[in-house]
Amino acid sequence: MSLLRAQGLTAGYGPVTVLNAIDLEVNEGEIVVILGANGAGKTTTMRAVSGTIPRSGVVEFDGHDISRTSPDAIVRHGLAQVPQGRGTFPELSVEDNLRAGAITRRDGAGAVAADLQRWFEQFPRLAERRSQRAGSLSGGEQQMLAIARALMSRPKLLLCDEPSLGLAPLITKELFEVIERLNAQEGLSVLLVEQNANLAMHMASRVYLLETGRIVASGSAAELSADDTIRKAYLGF
Amino acid sequence: MELFLQRLADGLSQGSVYALMALGLVIIYRGTGHLNFAQGEMALFCTYVVYQCGEWGIPIGLALPIGMVVGFALGAVTEVALIRPVAKKSPFAVFIVTLGLFQFLNWLDGAIWRDQPLPNSGVGSVQQQFPSLFPSKDTDFITIFGADIKLQSVGVFVLVLALTGALFLLFNKTKLGLAMNAVASNAESAKLVGIRTNMVLMVSWGIATAIGALGGVVFAGINHNVNLTLMFTVFIYGSAAATLGGFDSPGGAVLGGLIIGVIENMAAGYADEWVGQQLKVGVAFVVIVVVLLVKPSGLFGTAKVERV
Amino acid sequence: MTMPFTLRSGGAASWALRLVAGAVLVYVMFWIPTQASNGVIDTCITALTLMAAAMALNLLLGYTGQISIGHSAFFGIGAYTTGILVSRYGWSPFQTLAVAFVVAFVVGALVSLPALRIKGVYLALVTLSLGLVFPQLIKAPKMEWLTGGARGLDKTGFKFTKKNPTYEIFGWNPWGNLRGENVKPFLYWIAMIIVIIVYLACRGVVKSRAGRSLIAIRDNETAAAVMGVNLAVTKGLAFGLSAALCSLPGCLSAIRTGNVTPDSTNLTVLGAITFLIVMVVGGAGSLWGPIIGSALYVFVTDRTGDWSDKEAIPAVLRPFFGWSHTPPGSGIFAVVLIALMFVAPFGIVGMWHRVVRRFVKVVPRPAGTGTIDTPATAPAEA
Repeated sequence: MSLLRAQGLTAGYGPVTVLNAIDLEVNEGEIVVILGANGAGKTTTMRAVSGTIPRSGVVEFDGHDISRTSPDAIVRHGLAQVPQGRGTFPELSVEDNLRAGAITRRDGAGAVAADLQRWFEQFPRLAERRSQRAGSLSGGEQQMLAIARALMSRPKLLLCDEPSLGLAPLITKELFEVIERLNAQEGLSVLLVEQNANLAMHMASRVYLLETGRIVASGSAAELSADDTIRKAYLGF
Repeated sequence: MELFLQRLADGLSQGSVYALMALGLVIIYRGTGHLNFAQGEMALFCTYVVYQCGEWGIPIGLALPIGMVVGFALGAVTEVALIRPVAKKSPFAVFIVTLGLFQFLNWLDGAIWRDQPLPNSGVGSVQQQFPSLFPSKDTDFITIFGADIKLQSVGVFVLVLALTGALFLLFNKTKLGLAMNAVASNAESAKLVGIRTNMVLMVSWGIATAIGALGGVVFAGINHNVNLTLMFTVFIYGSAAATLGGFDSPGGAVLGGLIIGVIENMAAGYADEWVGQQLKVGVAFVVIVVVLLVKPSGLFGTAKVERV
Repeated sequence: MTMPFTLRSGGAASWALRLVAGAVLVYVMFWIPTQASNGVIDTCITALTLMAAAMALNLLLGYTGQISIGHSAFFGIGAYTTGILVSRYGWSPFQTLAVAFVVAFVVGALVSLPALRIKGVYLALVTLSLGLVFPQLIKAPKMEWLTGGARGLDKTGFKFTKKNPTYEIFGWNPWGNLRGENVKPFLYWIAMIIVIIVYLACRGVVKSRAGRSLIAIRDNETAAAVMGVNLAVTKGLAFGLSAALCSLPGCLSAIRTGNVTPDSTNLTVLGAITFLIVMVVGGAGSLWGPIIGSALYVFVTDRTGDWSDKEAIPAVLRPFFGWSHTPPGSGIFAVVLIALMFVAPFGIVGMWHRVVRRFVKVVPRPAGTGTIDTPATAPAEA
């Protein structure tokens, strides 16, 4: 069953249209990856889905039409975004960052505290730095914090915008393992934007190829890798 | 020694008023990066409302909350109707709007309550003087180390400490406070974790103006009357306090206010010949210029890329 | 889109329009002192005073983007320089203008030193406190021997006796016998000359290379510095010149009323705010903006000046303003100001340009100083 469905999604900045009527679908329990070169419109897609930029077309999430919903209300429907460049609250402590992530929850302080504990166990580096300002963390730690913060809202779908950007390969690998584990164990659906095709293809249920604002190919990771022209042109292996 | 203690007490109670003004400025600045030049006049309007309540026979204990509620509403409406729409255009437009609001409210106060200090038997005021929150007769003082400290000074100081404590709890222990901190830190990300940023900004302006209203009422009580120019200097002292403490630090604002209140009174007292009552306001000018030149982020503020 | 009219800048039609506008302006300029009543002339002097101050402020804010809410201090420097020199040392009022200009320039340049590091609303805060300090400094006991303290100074204007050298220019007396009827037109012409001086100074600066540096600073300081604009010198000069020009209407106010007090509106922060407001309403960053804004402000406040008396309000408007205990002029202007920020941030002049462009196509002058010829078909709207 589809969790997120976008039809004819068009978006851009001011007079410039970046995204040209794309169709997109994420089913429950899937990890869907959007691949594309710089400027293909990957980040714009994320922003259009999460409602942070003006957009047109239809976006449905979990049975709700969210085409005209404001970003904060979309989060309350259960869609959390990890923005590109992490977007943590630099002046707030690590713990407060996580608490801010849970600000939309209505299931009581106990449940929030339990989740807090859980992510601290999952990301021990964050536990060590729980009272430090987020701004003082390293890039990898901030990325983990951003993901943990998004997860604190107990989302049904996690949008991840280039989590590997600026991270050492080893940390990227660790991060992707966490995402895969959450997907396998919790059934968390993920929509991931990546430039690093190799890594992302590995865990993707399905893949969309984006080029200058249009989807040029889609299918399972295996299908796309099997197609020679696509593999050479877009995947680079 | 007694004189010193008396001046210290006077300074702290004056400084408490500046601290309240500075707190309001800081709460708004943290949320939106705007300096609200109408802060003093918004507080003044609420102070007039409290005066009017007194005329209608409402005791100060009830009139003050009414004034603060009016302040909250005034602040919230201002943010939604005036600030938010022009904030998209430019910071300069916001500056001009706050200045226009300054002029408008000052005119409105005069238009409703006339251009003279109130209460005033000449216009038929029932009250003898502006209602004070604390005992303010000449005999109401306590003696500490031989110095006669007015009960009013003690009361005002304690009030500000209590309010600071309450705000500390608000910012650090409540969801609203967390949301306000998050918006102050990164408004874009705050939206992405589901915080209703518009609501937070509206509430911030409301709280700031309500605190300003409290400051106005306290100051009018010390001053025994309310008049159209009452808040001019309080605003500039409050701004100096916020500059000194750091424009994004509520704790710094309170401390800055107290420091400036004390410096002002000491300067006027000990350097009477040079500073005196007339040039007290020069203290604010010097503090603002020196802090901005030497340490623009203030004592407790965080250095940020300037937003204007 | 075709427009009903096309106007070529520098062309015959353009010159004709300018000539007509100029002729009307000169006619009005001479009609007022010769035909209008003394009351009207007096109001016009008030307007001219405000115009000069607002234009001086516009040079700073409209063209370099530095915010000042303290220009009342420079206005006050002018008023007190004239006041002190005339009343204490018996100078001729005309001579004091030059001294005031220099003093205000120096003070303005000094204020600009912190302005090099302090920007935006912070600079507004600094200048605001300067504006608050100024009247207090005048009132300070230590200054009383010079400034007269809170009481101020009197006999600061012309002494209108039959043979008084103070209003002669090198022994030549073009004014005739200055008594009664003649005094107002005489003051009117002083005010007019000051406004023309300030206008020409602003125009000269704005149209010059220095003016382009100023605008570059306003639009992007870093880029301007990279292009070789000396920030410190340019900003300092702009601040100094703006302050110096603002002192001239201050001198005028001392000459006109014959006394100066530290609490008169134009010397307090409320005056500085008024300069700023009329400038923005008229149109910041345009030469005519402050002139139009000031004229409108004085017109409105003059028309509504006696509205605290209910009977004086026109019957149609009485329900709207009848409740007010004070004249509604400043309130009306504040509302206009806020409303303008929503619809036309560049004030009345900006709005006028927008309206004109819908009906008239203005073709820029081809390649006089420019680089690329603008094709005649280029759309006029930006």
